[in-house]
Amino acid sequence: MSAPPDMTPLVEAEQLCKRYPVVGQRGDRMHALWDVLRGKPPRRVASVLEDISFSVRPGESLGIIGENGAGKSTLLKLITGVLTPSAGSVRTRGSIGALLELGAGFHPEYSGLENVRMSAALRGLSGDALDEKLPDILAFADIGQYIHEPVKHYSSGMVVRLGFAVIASIRPQLLITDEVLAVGDESFQRKCIRWIDDYLAEGGTLLLVSHGIYHVQKLCKQALWLAEGKVRALGDVFEVTQAYVAWHEQKGRAQIESEQSARAESGEFAVDEVLLNGDGARTPLHLPQASPLLVETIVRSADGRAPTVLVGIVRGDGSPVYGVSSDMDGAAPEALGNNRFRYRIAFDALPLLPGHYHLRVHPLDPEGVRLFGTTERDLIIRGASREMGMIRLAHRWLDATEPW
Amino acid sequence: MARSRAGSAVVGAGVLRALLKREMVDRHQGTLVGWSWGLLQPLLQFAVLALVFTKLLPNRASANGLPYAAFLALGLWPWQLFANAILRGTTALTDNAAMIGKVAIPHSYFVLTRMAGTAIYDLAGFVVVLAILFALRLQLTVAGLPVALIAMLIVSAHAIAAGFILATIQVFLRDAAQIVAQLVSLGFFLTPVLYERGHLPSAMNTVLAWNPMAPPIESIRGALMGEPVAGPMLAYSAVCAMVALLVARGMFLRAQPHVEDFL
Repeated sequence: MSAPPDMTPLVEAEQLCKRYPVVGQRGDRMHALWDVLRGKPPRRVASVLEDISFSVRPGESLGIIGENGAGKSTLLKLITGVLTPSAGSVRTRGSIGALLELGAGFHPEYSGLENVRMSAALRGLSGDALDEKLPDILAFADIGQYIHEPVKHYSSGMVVRLGFAVIASIRPQLLITDEVLAVGDESFQRKCIRWIDDYLAEGGTLLLVSHGIYHVQKLCKQALWLAEGKVRALGDVFEVTQAYVAWHEQKGRAQIESEQSARAESGEFAVDEVLLNGDGARTPLHLPQASPLLVETIVRSADGRAPTVLVGIVRGDGSPVYGVSSDMDGAAPEALGNNRFRYRIAFDALPLLPGHYHLRVHPLDPEGVRLFGTTERDLIIRGASREMGMIRLAHRWLDATEPW
Repeated sequence: MARSRAGSAVVGAGVLRALLKREMVDRHQGTLVGWSWGLLQPLLQFAVLALVFTKLLPNRASANGLPYAAFLALGLWPWQLFANAILRGTTALTDNAAMIGKVAIPHSYFVLTRMAGTAIYDLAGFVVVLAILFALRLQLTVAGLPVALIAMLIVSAHAIAAGFILATIQVFLRDAAQIVAQLVSLGFFLTPVLYERGHLPSAMNTVLAWNPMAPPIESIRGALMGEPVAGPMLAYSAVCAMVALLVARGMFLRAQPHVEDFL
């Protein structure tokens, strides 16, 4: 008679909070000791995790993602019992194998073998049982004679190999790893992933922290996105990771733009005017296919040195089509006086295919290194061509007899 | 409960054994004589003191009928057990910060194995010293051994209490280890290891009698030399040790949840 599988969660966190005491100043530690001994809460705290609730049932796999400092490692430490929660609770059951912050608590002065013995003992494996498994562990780690050297001489990859080998030999009910896959080389990563795949297939349970979205999607069915110590999203791995990636892209873009606009506001170099075929209006410029285009731009510099200008065309969705700067071609501007300069660039027959484009002009410093803002004009190419892509490439079809 | 209590006790024993081995054997890796340093270190200390007080300052030595070296040895090994245990114990948690931050095992294991790691050598050394002294047919009596054993237990209790208190303080205030080193050497001179307390000026004699470490050291020496033992003073020291153990336990339990925050 087989009992139904026990689906009680292996990990159950309820409104978990962790606040670290702030001990930056000299007297803080003294006060902290005094408070702790009197059983009083610390005076100043920095909150790392707030109100985290989730559970992991046997056979589930949860990936934890988030930026540096979001509280991922702290969460794992609370789960493994290394840290004590400031509020809320976390309950675990069953055997837990954890690799936190790339080491199983290895001591740098001792040899790999001694650390393996210690690490195994900490997980309930010692004596004859360990001797039996030792060859497997060493084979999995595959670091050869280095095993007798102190761990301080190891590369970070070797440390992870050894740590993972110990965990693998123990096959805990719940496996917790923190960025293990980020350090090993390709072949070891594959070995780890294969092992975790097998482990999950046999009903193992996984909690994985990783910055590698690929690994999270590959190994986990669910994901938890931590942001500034709070749960931002929890659910299906693809939904959560895609939201995370999108948020990151947006943030990256916003950052670049804000840097550029900050420079533009500094007023060192700026675009005063952009004329397309003599037209300075802000409305989109409509052009038939293969028409000439003259881009006339008037730029200004604070120190009287002539700025460099970058002219580029991008598609409506932002994919770049072509870009060129005045310094690439050695073009010199016409000085208009008053620290103003005019560049003119002509495209005799613009080979853009019909569609919606943006023409962008960026002022750069005279060295052509730093970018100061963007001036954008819309460009609509009209035409009935059914050709595909963005640009018409010059070509011809050959007759049957025509030599090439 | 997935893991039975007996199961975790087995794990605990394995962890303690592994930690103890690290303290006793692995720590001396890279030295020529290896773990023998555990026995050699008190022996060298003894050799230095014996040389100073028999050859350089013979007038300061007083031994109550025993050769001075024998007198010194009977007090020195118990004192060394106490001193080494608390010196090592003070940094037990801070030195193991890397492991405490990654593996959840009771913090007391680190302190206990740290202290046991030196105490075992000092105890073994003391047994060897006693065997030699008896073999030399000095004026010692086997009848004093039970009292000596009780006194050694009291010394150990003092060491355990002090070790836990200091290890806790060291987590919060790294100054502790610096201060402890100085206090231990002061304590060495305030405890009648090098001298007979009766030879001190009487005011000092009375004050130092209340040093909780004085009664057990004097009892070990006195009992083995066949002299009467001051039972009430030994009991006083035992009570001090009990109180210290309770304080240590209270401090350690209160601090335990916060230790990782300060390591």
